[in-house]
Parts: sequence; C-alpha cells; structure tokens
Amino acid sequence: MSGYGSTVATNPREAADWSTGRVIRSNLRAVAGRAYPRVIGLTREPSWLFFEIFLPFLAVSAFVFVYRALEAPEAFVGFVVLGGAMTSFWLNVVWMMAAQFYWEKDQGNLELYFTAPMHLMSVLAGMAIGGLVMTSSRALAVIGIGSLLYGVTYDIQQPFLLAGVFLLTMIPLYGMGMLFASLFLLWGREAFHLAQLLQEPIYFLGGVNFPLRAIGPIAGVVIATLPLGVGLDAMRQLAFAGSGVQGVLPVGVEMLILAVMGVVFIVAARLALGYLEHLARREGRLTLRWQ
Amino acid sequence: MAVTDRAAPVRGMTLADAWRSFRTAIGLGWAIEANWSDPFLFAVYTMAKPLAAAGILVVMFQVITQGQNPEFLQFLIVGSALWNVVFGVMSGLVQSILEDRERYRMIKYVVVTPTSLFPFLLGRSLARVIVSFVAVVLTMIVGIVFLGVELRPNLLYLVPATLLGVTAVIALGVFMAGWCLQLRQEAWSYPEAIAGALYLVSGAIFPIDILPGFLHPIAYASPTTWWLEASRRGLLDHGSPGTLGGLSDGMVMLLLAVSTAIAIPIALAAFAWFMQRARQAGLLDMTTGS
Repeated sequence: MSGYGSTVATNPREAADWSTGRVIRSNLRAVAGRAYPRVIGLTREPSWLFFEIFLPFLAVSAFVFVYRALEAPEAFVGFVVLGGAMTSFWLNVVWMMAAQFYWEKDQGNLELYFTAPMHLMSVLAGMAIGGLVMTSSRALAVIGIGSLLYGVTYDIQQPFLLAGVFLLTMIPLYGMGMLFASLFLLWGREAFHLAQLLQEPIYFLGGVNFPLRAIGPIAGVVIATLPLGVGLDAMRQLAFAGSGVQGVLPVGVEMLILAVMGVVFIVAARLALGYLEHLARREGRLTLRWQ
Repeated sequence: MAVTDRAAPVRGMTLADAWRSFRTAIGLGWAIEANWSDPFLFAVYTMAKPLAAAGILVVMFQVITQGQNPEFLQFLIVGSALWNVVFGVMSGLVQSILEDRERYRMIKYVVVTPTSLFPFLLGRSLARVIVSFVAVVLTMIVGIVFLGVELRPNLLYLVPATLLGVTAVIALGVFMAGWCLQLRQEAWSYPEAIAGALYLVSGAIFPIDILPGFLHPIAYASPTTWWLEASRRGLLDHGSPGTLGGLSDGMVMLLLAVSTAIAIPIALAAFAWFMQRARQAGLLDMTTGS
C-alpha cells in the first residue's frame, strides 16, 4: 500500500482510477513539494539572499544617484526604490518561472514532471507560491535598505488598498510567468536570449524608474499588456499620495485591468500547457536536452 | 620500451598554436553565443537590451530637466553606451569558463590538450565582446540621430584611450574568470555583481562627486573610471561634470595608463594562481549545479 491510497489495487486499471479527492490531494502535494525548495531556500542558501538583494539594490542606487545628479524632487527616489523592489519579482518571474521548465529539461527533471501523476499547473503554482514568498523577503529588504539609506518618505493613506493592489499585481505577474514557462520551452534554445530580452526593455516599458506617464502613448499599450507596469503605476499613486504623482489611469481602473489580466494569463497558461503536453507525448522532443 | 625513451622532445606551445586555438575558439564562442538562432531574432535581442537601458536614462533625464542641460544627456549616452563593453567583456570571459566547466563540461579537456587555456578563453569570449561593441555603436547612433548628441571625436586621444581601457577591462575579466572557478555557488552572478558595483563607482551615468565620500577612493582606483572619462573627452571634446571634468586631458590619460598598467600584471598573476589552485583542488571538472 502506498502512502497515497488507503486500499491495495488488484490490477493496473483499478490503480489508475483515482477518486477526485485523491487527485486533489496529490496535486496539492505537488504544489507544496515544488514550493518547498524555494521557501526553504530563504534560509539555507545565503548566497541567493546576498545576490537577490544586492543586485537590485545596486541598480536602485545607480538610478537614485542619477536623480540626485539631476536635482530631481525626492519623490523620484521613492519611485526608484519601489520600482527596484518590484524588479525582484519580475526577475523571479523571468528566471525562476519563465525559464524554469527549460532549466528543468536540461537537468532531466521535465520528463519526470510529465510522467508524474499530477497536473503541470500544480508544479507551476508551486513554483509561483514559493517564488512569491522567497522574493517578498528580498523585495522588503530592498525597500527597507533603500528607504533608510536614501531617506524615502512614503505617504500611504490607504494601506489596505495598497496591499490589495500588490496582491492583485502578483496574480497576473506570476500568471504571465506560467504562460512564459510553456512558451520558453516551445521556443527551445532561445530561452536565455528571451530572458535577457525581458529585462531592460521591460524595465523601460514598465516605467520601473520613472512615472509611466513619461513614455507617452506607449503607456497605453503597457497598461493593456504588462502587469508590472500597471501594478507599479497604481502602487505609486497609493504609496506617494501626497507627492502629486499622476497615474496613467485611476487606481480603481488599474485594479480592474489587473484582475482581468490575472484571469487571461492563467487561462492562457493552462491552454499553453495543454498544447505542450500534447507535443511532449506526440513528438517526445521536449525532453531532449539542449534542444 | 620505456616511456622515457622518446625519439623527439615535446615542443612547447608556439605562437602559431596559440593563434589556432584563439581562432577556433572564436568560431565556437560565436556559435554558442548566437546559439544557432535566427539572425533576425538574434539582432533584436542584441539591440533591444542596450537601447532600452539607454532609453531608461533618457526618459529619466527628460522627466526632470525637460530637455535642458544637453551636456548631461551626452554624458549619460556615452557612459551608458560604453558600459556595454565592460559588462560584455566581464560576463563574456566568466560565462565562457563557467559554461565550459558546468554546462558543456569541456574545460578539463581543453586544459589537458597541448594548447593553453588563455588564448582559448579569449577567443571563446570574443563573440560577446563584439556584440557589446555593436551595442556601443548602436546606442551612439541613436543618441546622435534622435537625441542630438554631438560627437567631436579626437582620434589621437580616443584611440589610445580605447586600447588602454579595453585592455584594462579584459584584465578585470581575466581576474574574474579565474576567481569564479574557485567558487562553489552562484559564480554566474559574480560578473553582474562586480560590473554592477563598478557601474556605481565609475561615474558611468552620474558624476562620482554624487557618491558618498567613502566610495571615492574606489572610484579613483578603478581603471574603468578613467577609461570612461578619457572616452568622453575623446568623443565629445569635454569631460564629465564635477571634479573629474576639472582634470587636464593629459592627467586623465596618465591615470588611465597607470591604473591599466597596475591591473594587467595583477590580473595575469592572479589568473595563473587561480588556475594552479583549480588544478590542484580538482576544480576544473567540478560542477556546482548552480
């Protein structure tokens, strides 16, 4: 008898006939199992902690000094610190969600995922939950250190709404990561270049270091497609309410856009995974290393 | 017959051997870097990153100054463009050696061949260096055509500054490549971390006077600071705002030459020591799984 069932199967057909409860339990175990290394990595891998705080902090510092050299209002320093914290999540989405299946393939784990009795969405959900927990600690550190060192003052009049916008941003952001995980795998060897392509260009389009309105009409496209840009624009309006910062759209509308994006990206990720599994079974090519 | 009864002595490595290794490694490096990708897609990847990096700075500048102070914009564009070379060289050298150890697991075979690792490593990383120079040219073109950057090149100053500066950056990359062989975890992140730290202290996108005082000695000791300053003078005919801009052209070139002359022997000696240690400690065929 395995730990997964309460009865001994008498034949393979019976063994494969899982109850709904067993399917759910198995998938929840997969979510927890995939989230575990990322959560436990919080304390067991100090080098991750150092690099994931230090690298965004270096970038934040460089942009803070540029604003200081330009004698910009102090609110801009706060924009950069908040943007720097959000880049931690974006980097996590790009390297540890989008590119993850590609790395798993290289390490030989992907074929185990395909053959294990669980849905791949459970693996992606586990990666997202673990990554979110792990990256939150890094982002908080960037905000804490950056705010202390550079004297950022926040004017938060609606803290619960701010927390809600943050959580609402994370859903489409990690949903996008889930979708990209399948797409990166389909695009094969381009994964590394794609991950590179999704950094500076996205920081530029997402208004990570400046108010999103500054890029003019392109901001409209960003608002329609990029959760990082929409979420950051809404969070800046709420975190620096007294600075007179103007968002591209009111916070309520941006929250609605984030909610729609969340649904769209997760459904798209589910469809892309279905296609991926179909290809994996038909061609067997997706589990070949370095393809 | 005893193995010591060799008919002919084993010859050492000649310049021709080194050249052949270098040339072969260039082809290999290019194939890996381009990753057999579609040339159009590869061009997009190559262009988008540096242009976006420069774009961020330009928008920041425009938001605050509304286009006033064009000299500062030129300072930003040149610094942002040239930094691609620093990052390209450092990450090129380090990632070449790490990829060959960790991913392709070929470095141990390269080391046991009669060739030297050094020309192989330089050739293997050259593709990234070339791509980084393309990024420099592209960023400068965008600066000139769309942002009104006015170049007044002084080749007599620019050419030696570039030669010295790139040599210094290669020396830093060689040092980093040897160092990263010694690391257990996260060696891949070191080039980004070190290049990021140098970006902060070298006055790439803001005058070093803005930095806290305790970072000034590091800024003055780094050859990248003097290379960027000399390049700005060679390209724009004026230096950075602030203290560095007050120095004479000759003094800047002298400081670049001195810092480069110090960096090269230190880097080569360190690389030799790192390689010796890697051989003794069995680090050449180690995989960290990172």
